[in-house]
Amino acid sequence: MGWLPWSSGDSSKASDGGRIAPDRTSRARCWEGRDAFFACLDRNDILDGIKDDKEARRKCAKEVVEFEAACSATWVKYFKEKRVMEYNRDKTIERIKKEDAETVKELKSQGWKSN
Amino acid sequence: MSSSLRMASGILGRATRNLASIEATPSHRILPALRNTSQPQCRAYTQAQRPQYTHNVQCAFAARNNFSTTAFRARAKTMGQLRQRNSTGPFSWKAALLFVLTGAGMMIYFRVEKARLERKRIAEMSKGVGRPKVGGPFVLKDLDGKEFTEEDLKGKYSFVYFGFTHCPDICPDELDKMAEIIDKVREATKDDKLFLPVFITCDPARDTPEVLREYLKEFHPGIVGLTGTYEQVKNVCRQYRVYFSTPKDVKAGEDYLVDHSIYFYLMDPDNDFVECIGRQDTPESASKVILEHINDWKREGKPLKVE
Repeated sequence: MGWLPWSSGDSSKASDGGRIAPDRTSRARCWEGRDAFFACLDRNDILDGIKDDKEARRKCAKEVVEFEAACSATWVKYFKEKRVMEYNRDKTIERIKKEDAETVKELKSQGWKSN
Repeated sequence: MSSSLRMASGILGRATRNLASIEATPSHRILPALRNTSQPQCRAYTQAQRPQYTHNVQCAFAARNNFSTTAFRARAKTMGQLRQRNSTGPFSWKAALLFVLTGAGMMIYFRVEKARLERKRIAEMSKGVGRPKVGGPFVLKDLDGKEFTEEDLKGKYSFVYFGFTHCPDICPDELDKMAEIIDKVREATKDDKLFLPVFITCDPARDTPEVLREYLKEFHPGIVGLTGTYEQVKNVCRQYRVYFSTPKDVKAGEDYLVDHSIYFYLMDPDNDFVECIGRQDTPESASKVILEHINDWKREGKPLKVE
């Protein structure tokens, strides 16, 4: 898989042997592809694009192709993993907040004053 | 000479007596006072043989300009003055204003000083012996292939960032932020040489000078890009306590990501670590912190190398 839809195979090389990274425009295109794909996953209640790869490909066929065409394979993997990680992080924060609120409620019912 | 003086005070005295009876006249507070103060004050003039007429006028002004109001308040001569003094006691709006202004001034001064000392404490935490040090000697090369060492950072406030060009989303965001910070700081200091933004790649295998140049150009032309051999980059990452996970032997064309810390390091002109700027900072908050440190340094008169 290439970096860009029109460049297949290996990523482009600089004349001094370095490997040229995506520039601002191709980055923006990649992020657009990612957002469209994740929006589709949201609509279909899919969280993990790696674990539920088959289902994701079936339900978001168009989006996944565009996403993978616009970004390099490592970026695709990175973004999919990041989505799961962020979801779990937000879940944890929410859970802790809820637990905190419940503890405070319980303490208050036992006659504890918060201030 | 003494006769002219007597004449002058005589004229003045007469005029004052006439005027002092009219209490409503605005000058009633000054003229009686003149009777007492004009003589010693005007001696200098009379000795200089000034013409008598101008001497009177000048003395009137001299007394008017004399700000030791308490002196002639103490010698209040008219009922009006006494009445006023008794109604307000030793307090007046001038005293109140002076009190409030002094108080406010002191408060502002102490706040500013407290903030400055706090910054100084932070800045000096990384100096001295036995402290964990961020930064240190390194050898890299800049985009023209010239050797670049920690000596090239000295004399300036440097702003060091580690990254790699194949970075998916965090580095580009942070570099856009860096560009805004550079513009803000340079605009405020009106100096392009004082603040040196540096980008060190953690991925020297792919990030050659040419690649770096093209990449950094998209963010800010002022960012100095640095690269080196695998070992050199590993060393500089160790010096700056940056987590370095670049795979050593990469097959040609293989794609990979590099884990790295995502902090900006602000280093002072002695090349000592001052502060971290992280993801939570906005360009505004970051440039404010940087400018505060730069201004502290300037105010303490410490050396800067601005060639």
